[in-house]
Amino acid sequence: MGLLTILKKLREKERELRLLVLGLDNAGKTTLLKRLNGEDVGGTSPTLGFNIKTLEHRGFRLHLWDVGGQRSLRSYWRNYFESTDALLWVVDSSDRQRLRLCATELRALLREERLAGAALLVFANKQDLPGALPAADIREALELDSIRSHRWRLQGCSAFTGRDLLPGLDWLLDELGARLCPPD
Amino acid sequence: RAAPSLARRGPAAAGPEAAAGSAASAVVLPERLQRREAERQQGVERQRQKKEAQVVKEEQSEFFLGASAREREAVEALLAAGALEEAAARLQALQKLLTDSVRFLAPYEVRQGQEAVARLQGELAARREQLQPKKKFAFRALKKEAAPGSAPRPAEPAPPDLAAPDPDLAEGDPGGPPLCGFSGARDEELELGGAELLQRDVLLSELRGCRVLLRGNPNTLRVRDCSGCTVLCGPVSTSVLVDGCSDCLLAMACQQLRTHRTHGCRVYVQVTSRAVIEACSDVSFAPYSWSYPGIERDFESSGLDRNRNNWNLVDDFDWLATDQPSPNWSLIPEQERVTSWD
Ligand SMILES: Nc1nc2c(ncn2[C@@H]2O[C@H](COP(=O)(O)OP(=O)(O)OP(=O)(O)O)[C@@H](O)[C@H]2O)c(=O)[nH]1
Ligand SMILES: [Mg+2]
Repeated sequence: MGLLTILKKLREKERELRLLVLGLDNAGKTTLLKRLNGEDVGGTSPTLGFNIKTLEHRGFRLHLWDVGGQRSLRSYWRNYFESTDALLWVVDSSDRQRLRLCATELRALLREERLAGAALLVFANKQDLPGALPAADIREALELDSIRSHRWRLQGCSAFTGRDLLPGLDWLLDELGARLCPPD
Repeated sequence: RAAPSLARRGPAAAGPEAAAGSAASAVVLPERLQRREAERQQGVERQRQKKEAQVVKEEQSEFFLGASAREREAVEALLAAGALEEAAARLQALQKLLTDSVRFLAPYEVRQGQEAVARLQGELAARREQLQPKKKFAFRALKKEAAPGSAPRPAEPAPPDLAAPDPDLAEGDPGGPPLCGFSGARDEELELGGAELLQRDVLLSELRGCRVLLRGNPNTLRVRDCSGCTVLCGPVSTSVLVDGCSDCLLAMACQQLRTHRTHGCRVYVQVTSRAVIEACSDVSFAPYSWSYPGIERDFESSGLDRNRNNWNLVDDFDWLATDQPSPNWSLIPEQERVTSWD
């Protein structure tokens, strides 16, 4: 393999990102990924293990790891922390009863050493529902403003209608892209 | 060396080297403290062993994930290249790797592995037929006819996870009165109609002995901490969450049904993707048969596919064995099903 090929491979590798998608069960993680990927969302089942999707966006290859959020699976989340570039935390904004639990679980993740360098993108999902808390309330409930350990962004969206999924992802790529390929 | 320093620092500060329990320390320490120290050391040792076992398990599981991903890629490449016999051999090796690894894999990893093998087997069969059109090829059905509790599942029941929180502990907080729905009622007849329900998120919480009729098309429905209730609901566009309920009769059509911490309930359901249960017992299922004038229109606005109904395929997150049905759910025998809902 010539030097140029090696350099090219390295460059290609750099434009590959590993994104870990977590959140409580029923948050809409799998639906969100399918929607991003232009797939039919009607047949989405609760995730009994994990799914991997690879998306191409703005010249990046995004490997999205979507791990089930049912209670009995949460203790396995840590098996997926390694080499994560960004954590996508998906929230069911209409599930007021479990918002505190949602905040606690997120806090625990942010304390994980193996996620220390990851950027955090929070999707306040299900904004199409009349009973959904607006993004500003989710921000407060999750105490996002007190996060010092990670670069973060909150994005209200609806995986059901497809509204506002991309702006969050674009922020992420700006954030990660700047780090990966610093301007000369 | 250990004895004097141990005596000075006291048992709490004793390092592991003191655990050897030299005769000298026995002289210095009162028996009670000594016993406590021995217990502490045993605890530390148990913790260490547990941790080590955990690390080994994780390493093996990582090894499996890596190796199986490589094997899968190889099989896919061979299939694409038309090298079917080689692909078949590699596939067999993949199956063996999976079987050998079952012991230390998480249940869902086993399931994923089995699904991958099944998918590749299907592809292999399809490629075979494609490349040898003359030869008659009998497909073995990959998807069995649904029998109660025998959906494809990994081989081993999940080992109890000691670190996991008590599965019966409530996850939610009691909220205020719902924007759309009912909370805290006793022995009442409660109703909502089409206009009130259309694409709303509906919550029923802490109801006792109520009969709730929801004639319409909500977007999503949560039934939390209800007991002794009858809840009849029209087509729900997305998911229905049933949590912490007991002794209820439920009927709904929906995309997903997620039942948690629920006991002794009968559920008449049309579910277009999948029903799951977690930390449940004595939950039984039958096909959705409740109806009301206007249900056709509500089905239409719900977007649910009326021809898809997996009411009898239930995944139990606490029971992942393939060879035995989950003891936590069952199908309601036909002769015992509700025929009149009034
Ligand atoms: N109204 C509404 N429903 C949504 C939205 N996103 C997802 N859903 C529904 O919410 C339910 C759960 O979605 P999933 O994508 O399966 O949730 P998940 O986070 O992957 O859940 P687990 O796999 O159990 O961790 C499904 O019925 C979806 O149709 C949304 O933005 N709005
Ligand atoms: Mg999912």
